[in-house]
Amino acid sequence: MASEPMSIESSAQDPPPVPDVTSQEPKYGGHTRFELELEFVQALGNPEYVNYLASRKFLQNPAFVAYLDYLQYWTRPPYLQYITYPTSCLKMLELLQVERFRKDILSPNLTHALVTEGMKAAVEWHRESLS
Amino acid sequence: MDKKLDASFERVEKALAVLIDSMTKFTPSEKAANDVVKAERELFLGLEELEVHQRNVARIRQLKQETEALDAQTKQTISALWEMRKELVAVAPTKFSPAKEEKHPFTTQQLLDYARRISRNTLPPPGVTNGVDLSTAAPTTPDDQAATGPNASFATSIGGGGGGGGSGQGTAASTPAPGVQDSFVSQVPSQSQTGATELPVHLKPAVNPLENAPFFTFPTIDRIRSGALAQYQDLINRGIDPKNYDPEEEERRIKQEEQDRKDAEERARQEREEQDRRMREERERMARERELARQQQQQQEGGMDRRGSVLAPGQAGGQPARAAPKQFTFLDEDDDDEDED
Repeated sequence: MASEPMSIESSAQDPPPVPDVTSQEPKYGGHTRFELELEFVQALGNPEYVNYLASRKFLQNPAFVAYLDYLQYWTRPPYLQYITYPTSCLKMLELLQVERFRKDILSPNLTHALVTEGMKAAVEWHRESLS
Repeated sequence: MDKKLDASFERVEKALAVLIDSMTKFTPSEKAANDVVKAERELFLGLEELEVHQRNVARIRQLKQETEALDAQTKQTISALWEMRKELVAVAPTKFSPAKEEKHPFTTQQLLDYARRISRNTLPPPGVTNGVDLSTAAPTTPDDQAATGPNASFATSIGGGGGGGGSGQGTAASTPAPGVQDSFVSQVPSQSQTGATELPVHLKPAVNPLENAPFFTFPTIDRIRSGALAQYQDLINRGIDPKNYDPEEEERRIKQEEQDRKDAEERARQEREEQDRRMREERERMARERELARQQQQQQEGGMDRRGSVLAPGQAGGQPARAAPKQFTFLDEDDDDEDED
């Protein structure tokens, strides 16, 4: 992705409108802002992707941090219902608000730990209720 | 007040002394007795005043106490308010508090739909173990999970993943207490693995097609790479401004242009053919006319020869010879038209 500095204004807008059949949203490369931001916020659930963003110094960019703050509208209705990877995506969005985590995720060890622990938890969370 | 009372007492004492003095001298004086009575009355008045004074003092003390109590209460209230204010200021402002209060009603159907939508990303398909040994008891405390670091869990996923499979869930015993029992349970599968009932490694995929399939609760990198964001980046890399650019629309437009171009070519080709056809017909017509004219001329020449043989030599040439071809020509043209049709 682009590594040039972004404009601060990119995060100062309101959340995009919820998709509607009749709406005539402007499209960016064939996709609405809603679709792009939904995809991005879900991609953030992938620790390797976040690690990649950290390695490109995105997480130290104040504009990007402001954008992460702006993306928190996905944790509220009516946007919440469109997220299909709720477990990891919402937790990562919460963690990314913390400056310490934004620095720590640069470490491959932490990234690997998040992936493996996530995989373990994905299998174990429903076993606990069984046993 | 004290001085006043003291003065009254002094007067009473003096008057009394005067009276006693006069009595001891056996010359009782009425004036002295009156003075004593008067002084005594004044003393009583003074005492009454003292009583009022004392009462007032008591009242003042009481009021002072009340004031102090109220002051203390006020101070307490103010300090409580101050504490409250500090606490309020210390609480991080939650931007979304009004949104939280908003109710977002949803139906059961919507909830079930959502559950169905997310279930494929939250619950692994049956048989997927993610390297977790399902035959052992589930970790009972979060501390257990914390104790096993990433490397440890990775090691178990490689080494101890053999006991997985669909049958594992059924044998997951309910062992509430970790410790001795836990270690016992963890030994059981290792014993059974060595037993005869355990399938050879090469046959396991036949029983469980998802033997080593990983399951993630987040989109994989490949998925991210093939998504809309990647397309967006691709457009930027190609130097196209993605804003208001729709690849589908663009494709449709290109197709439409292609179609238009083909249509135009087809039209041009048809026009050319039409023109060619017209020219060809024109040429044919002209050729036919020339042929006809030639035939007529031949016929005319032949007729003149015959007429010349019938007519008298004196009538040869002139008017009748010119009228005859007209008549023939007219008939021939009719004939010609019919042929063409």
